[in-house]
Amino acid sequence: MTKRILLYAALVAGAFISVFPYLLVVLTAFKTKAQLNSTEPWLPGLPPTLDNLGQILGGDFPRYILNTLVMTVLLTLGQLVFTTFAAYAFARLNFRGRDVLFWLYVATMMVPSAVTMIPLFLIMRELDLVNTWYGLLAPYILGTPYGIFLMRQFFKGLPAGLEEAARIDGAGPLTVLVRILLPLCKPAIGTLTIITVISSWNSFLWPLIITSGDGTKVITVAIAALKVGIGVDHNLMMAGGLIALVPMVAIFIFFQKYIVRSVVLTGLK
Amino acid sequence: MRRRGSWYAYLFVGPSLLGVVAFLLLPVVIVLVLSFFDWELLSDPSFAGLDNYARLLGDGEAWHSLWVTVLYVALCVPLQTVIALGAAMLLNQRVKGVRFYRSLFVVPWMATPIVLGLVWNWIFDPRDGAINRALSMVGITGPDWLSDSAWAMPAVALVTVWQYSGYNMLFFLAGLQGIPQELYDAAATDGATPRQRFWRLTLPLLNPTMFFVMVTNMIGAFQVFDTVYVMTNGGPSGSTAVLNFTIFETAFRQFDFGYASTLSMLLFVIILVVTLVQVRFFGKRTTYDLS
Repeated sequence: MTKRILLYAALVAGAFISVFPYLLVVLTAFKTKAQLNSTEPWLPGLPPTLDNLGQILGGDFPRYILNTLVMTVLLTLGQLVFTTFAAYAFARLNFRGRDVLFWLYVATMMVPSAVTMIPLFLIMRELDLVNTWYGLLAPYILGTPYGIFLMRQFFKGLPAGLEEAARIDGAGPLTVLVRILLPLCKPAIGTLTIITVISSWNSFLWPLIITSGDGTKVITVAIAALKVGIGVDHNLMMAGGLIALVPMVAIFIFFQKYIVRSVVLTGLK
Repeated sequence: MRRRGSWYAYLFVGPSLLGVVAFLLLPVVIVLVLSFFDWELLSDPSFAGLDNYARLLGDGEAWHSLWVTVLYVALCVPLQTVIALGAAMLLNQRVKGVRFYRSLFVVPWMATPIVLGLVWNWIFDPRDGAINRALSMVGITGPDWLSDSAWAMPAVALVTVWQYSGYNMLFFLAGLQGIPQELYDAAATDGATPRQRFWRLTLPLLNPTMFFVMVTNMIGAFQVFDTVYVMTNGGPSGSTAVLNFTIFETAFRQFDFGYASTLSMLLFVIILVVTLVQVRFFGKRTTYDLS
């Protein structure tokens, strides 16, 4: 019994530590400027105001949310399709140069993002893609080494005999992948989807560098812009942060039934 | 013998290869080339030979930056790995509402970095922040945290640990769920204590997951940028100026692209060496074959 109580105490403590900074986000988003200065940070401002959320949603923000949504959906679709194909080939097909190529992919994960940003920008400038959707999406839509690493580990964990029977029946690799392996991969795909959705939604440095107009502005950049205007508008920033967070939590809750039992990462062989 | 389906394989890998070559390898080659040039954006690049590398050897600021990075990695990676593993074992129990708790533990990873930075700056505020208030309740006068050059780095590291522990927990959780219950039953029958079960069974069986988590965390920690950028901007007096941040400053504030490229090569080589050491270390460890 004591063990049970300790377990719950640890869970509640962990949950509290994970969430308490958001209490500030929520509280501040519903305060007026005056209340922010006059009330305790950890107490609600009374009466709560919807002005911040209203001001954010009444301005250009919905457009930035739409932009972010488009970016997230396209990047996730691209990542799912191309990563799955590549990971399948690396894990379960034989071809010349496979291992060298795979380790090359892993090696690219070690390249610091600040390192690639400069030349990436220069490449986009040469291609005349600065401040376009193509420029924003191109570097990440063809699948990332991180995702391929993750999915490969999963594919390798599936039993070896799976393809053989289908092969004897004359099925090609594409049929094997779509009909036999993918149905077994739902958990891994769930994990990859969540990771891609959330990291795309929150991506900041690349959108900041490559885009400048409203047509391609995403929410992280829009929220950051509230900081550099005349004075920092904390209430608005927090309202923006809250609006950005809610869909992510919803998505996580929706997909989480798939992700547990998923990434049983097998040996790196 | 040429295996059937070999050309399929190239077709499958093709798109991602195009992405990797154009947007990851080509940039690295460009950086490597630029590291031998003197280029301050407005002027044309001019060949400088090994000048940038010679400058690096005598650049105290760069080596300080490297030291700060190592400190950060040493603080973050062990802490967040241990916490993630602990949380995963906690959330692997049969407990009512465990899904709800799992979601809450991952929430820190879902936030917009810039909003997080602001909130944590408030929490670390020397006078009104939650942490120093809590400390003063038990009679401790807390440090100035982000404006104290001794405490700024631990504070930034703490925020990253908070942010990524739950995310890494997901991988450990999946790994734990992949361990067959029968093994634990057998161990219990043989009279293994919980401690023995952890060290002799759980940990060795988690080796592949541990490998993935350690490698990706180490790479991520060496490349930390966002948290530093939004919380301290490298300060006070350079105490949180990690290498990736210094690279960004050199490139985009001083427009010294040549030297920034040289610093980038330094960071890249360090990460490469550390990862290779990890691969060797984990490669030697035994992995039980369950198939």
